[in-house]
Amino acid sequence: MSILANKDTYVVIQGGVAGVNAARRMAEFCYLIKRSLNVMAFVYPPDAGKTNEIPYGSGLLAIPIYKTVAEATKHHPQINTSLVYIGADRAMRGGMEALDDPHIKLVSMITEGVPEKDAKILGRHATKLGKVFNGPSSIGIVSAGSCRLGVIGGAFDNLVLSKLYREGSFGVITKSGGLSNEIIWICSQFADGITTAIGIGGDAYPGTDYVSYLEMFENDPQTKAVVIVGEMGGDLEERAAEWYGAKTRRVKLIAVVSGFCQESLPKGMKFGHAGAKEGLKGEGSARFKSDALKKAGSIVPATFGALGPAIKEIYQELLKSGLVKEPVELAVLPKLPKSIEEAIKADEVMVPPLIRTTISDDRGDEPCYDGYPASELINKGYEIPHVVGLLWDKRLISKQEAEIVKRIMMLSADHGPCVSGAMGTIIAACAGIGLSQSVAAGLIMIGPRFGGAVTDAGRYFKHAVDNKMSVDEFLTYMKKNVGPVPGIGHRVKSLRNPDKRVKELVGYVKSLNIKTPCLDFALEVEQITSVKKDNLILNVDGTMAAVLVDIGFPVDSLNGFFILSRTIGLIGHWVDQKRQDSRLIRLFDYLVNYAAPKRREVPPLK
Amino acid sequence: MAKVLEGPGMGLMKKWGLTVPNYVVVTSVDELAKLGQANEWLKKSKLVVKAHEALGSRFKLGLVKVDLDLKGAEAATKEMIGRHVGSITVAQVIVSEMIPHKEEYYCAVKSTRTGTDILVANCGGIEVESNWERVNRLALEVGQQPSADALERLAKDAGFTGSLLKKMTDFAGKMFTCFDSEDAHYLEVNPVVLREQDSELIALDAVTLLDGDAKFRHPDWNFAFAAEFGRAYSKHEMEIMAVDSKIKGSVKFIEIPGGDTAMLPAGGGASIYYSDAVVARGGKLANYAEYSGDPPDWAVEVLTDKVCSLPGIKNIIVGGAIANFTDVKKTFGGIINGFRKAKSEGKLKGVKIWVRRGGPREKEGLDAMRALKDEGFDINVFDRNTPLTDIVDKALQNT
Repeated sequence: MSILANKDTYVVIQGGVAGVNAARRMAEFCYLIKRSLNVMAFVYPPDAGKTNEIPYGSGLLAIPIYKTVAEATKHHPQINTSLVYIGADRAMRGGMEALDDPHIKLVSMITEGVPEKDAKILGRHATKLGKVFNGPSSIGIVSAGSCRLGVIGGAFDNLVLSKLYREGSFGVITKSGGLSNEIIWICSQFADGITTAIGIGGDAYPGTDYVSYLEMFENDPQTKAVVIVGEMGGDLEERAAEWYGAKTRRVKLIAVVSGFCQESLPKGMKFGHAGAKEGLKGEGSARFKSDALKKAGSIVPATFGALGPAIKEIYQELLKSGLVKEPVELAVLPKLPKSIEEAIKADEVMVPPLIRTTISDDRGDEPCYDGYPASELINKGYEIPHVVGLLWDKRLISKQEAEIVKRIMMLSADHGPCVSGAMGTIIAACAGIGLSQSVAAGLIMIGPRFGGAVTDAGRYFKHAVDNKMSVDEFLTYMKKNVGPVPGIGHRVKSLRNPDKRVKELVGYVKSLNIKTPCLDFALEVEQITSVKKDNLILNVDGTMAAVLVDIGFPVDSLNGFFILSRTIGLIGHWVDQKRQDSRLIRLFDYLVNYAAPKRREVPPLK
Repeated sequence: MAKVLEGPGMGLMKKWGLTVPNYVVVTSVDELAKLGQANEWLKKSKLVVKAHEALGSRFKLGLVKVDLDLKGAEAATKEMIGRHVGSITVAQVIVSEMIPHKEEYYCAVKSTRTGTDILVANCGGIEVESNWERVNRLALEVGQQPSADALERLAKDAGFTGSLLKKMTDFAGKMFTCFDSEDAHYLEVNPVVLREQDSELIALDAVTLLDGDAKFRHPDWNFAFAAEFGRAYSKHEMEIMAVDSKIKGSVKFIEIPGGDTAMLPAGGGASIYYSDAVVARGGKLANYAEYSGDPPDWAVEVLTDKVCSLPGIKNIIVGGAIANFTDVKKTFGGIINGFRKAKSEGKLKGVKIWVRRGGPREKEGLDAMRALKDEGFDINVFDRNTPLTDIVDKALQNT
């Protein structure tokens, strides 16, 4: 047996994140003792209608979230307990809502910093209704082997170590949440463990105090002794002493009280929980409480450390008298399935990776490109072209090469609004489409006819140079196998109207006195083709391609230089349209050659 | 519980219809002089000047001056402002009018487990303390308002008669309304005096303790709460309070000058048991500290920094029970960073560190602490199998 919480306890949790975390802990306990999850519902208006996912074993349970406690108990009439995880400013309303629900018999409030007046009103209301209001600031309630309410008991390993999977003989009542686990652990190590442990909260006037719970323990035959962990301040311990001393009690009482340090501290210095606020040597002091408890017949160890041996002694007596028998430990306990991260850490599983990367890693405190930390690159004077070199070709390019890349990017950043890419972006921008989609609309245009010839140009010029072809051989090869030479030809530029960008780039690269076999070959090709037709000149794609191949970039990366550079322009066009608040545009009819059949009658459907 | 100084305390009483003497709180003589030009009563009345700080025994310290005219009040203000008493520097004085009176009474309202007590006596001042049996009590249940009859009976039983009976009944009623509406824990007026000129009851001196937790529903609480231990908060204490107010969970820190055992334990409950153990072993606490509720690691690091900065410490007790949900590895991470920082600043020389803890990720946390040994820290680490406060015994045996 146990008190307050048992196998028939079903819970609604009022509150958000903290409540969900508690539900996860409660699910771990349910899994350990092989019962289904006792959390039936959440009440959290902002998420009403959704569900919270609670891991249970290796699965996930979807627990519904309702707007009100009434809705929750209507859908889950077995609910008889509410845990309140609502902020201090709204806790009172939430607590009242739960107390007023006829299904609910126990409300435990975890919220800290609840105004004293509110706590007193809640406690009083519960008493009137014949219900139990536990808390505020309660860590929770746990009955070994049957029910956990809140995070009391701690992590799964601790539940097992503290033998919370089966009943013992000791009841526990503490003000302190942190010490509840300690006492549960002590009871499991020095005796046979606990029946029920209750955190009543450290406030001055908890909704339910030691006496009410002592009374319940007295009536629970499984509980043979009760441990209370008290604190200076208030009169709860004195009242417990009064109760214990009033008549012969079946349960044994073991108590410790903290706050003796107060006697040797500077006057007026007080600390600890909200309730620990009174008393030097008079009423409410640790000494006064200890003495009262001792006088009432309780065992009061001199220090916290002596608590374990004192519990052991009582347990030995209980064994000897035959009131309790040595517990039979379960042979096999369920193990909480490890998360994949934990299992990997413990070297228990090998997971074949889904992807493999060789260029970058941001698992540390900053990204590393091909192993080089970004900040170090910045601080040592490297620039964007070097990052391109690292991420696209896994090498640290030279200053000279970086300068070439930079110039290529500057030359191809934009080419006005009329080209396919910019038009795509502008039309999308005018239709009110967002930045990334509009830029994507422009990028989609990059292909065989617009901007996408760089890779192919580079590929074929390189092929020719690698195979030591003559220009004639090359042109024959291209005519036979490919078609027009990528990188050669322009829609508007010609010999008489040369492309300044090409001139600029060729001039610069040539001035560097570096070896440029591809560029040289491309220029030779131009000499032949431009004679055949005025506009078959080496275009900017072809020039870029040849130069980039010459400085070692892999053929497959070459279109990237155009895509990257032009993205700058596309973003500019989108921002430009946005800034002007441009309106939706459509083609004018006169710009369309309507070559479709004339209007005609639709034949009957067969 | 939050203590409020006289000025704002009297302001709250005035708000709920109690008559208080005219008063001003000033921070300089100039301010008082200007107010003197603007307020007739400052020129006409006899005045009282008191240091407006959380100080006990102000009379003995010469920080209360009575029966002054405005010139005298200005001189007293000049004398008091800037005076150092322990760690407190007087920054404000309260100047109020003296109320000529012959009779003194007592009225208080306090929170109890079962509700609220209203206390009334027909004697006041120091007389009430030596005649506590003359204090009459009306006990109200939680949520209950006092009826007019009950209040009258209270005043009657306390010995008030005639026109004074009605006045005291009214006074006690307003005290309760003020108490109830302002989320007070304790309100005391001693003395309540009968003003000679118009036979009106005046609240002459007020003790006001409010429920700091209820601040969220009192937007007009624009005053700071006073420290409750008769001294001002130190710079380090205020820094930790500032951190505490920002985070989920809590960090607490109070300095105790002259101690040599520094405390860095987890949990509002366990921290007191650790302090008790130090005192029981004859040690001298250098501070009180506590972190709980799974605070962020940076907050624990700041707390560690303050603990390591305490002068003359020999041991640091990094104690803690078996946590429910505070992540041991994470919070210990903050402590470890704090220790490393302190060491790099030349602190922690000859200081022994004692660790005991359990809870989520206890193994990882304790292992990380143990590893500090390799960095040259004098650190002893124990797990849940060592009883809670045994590290205090071990620490103090060594010194």
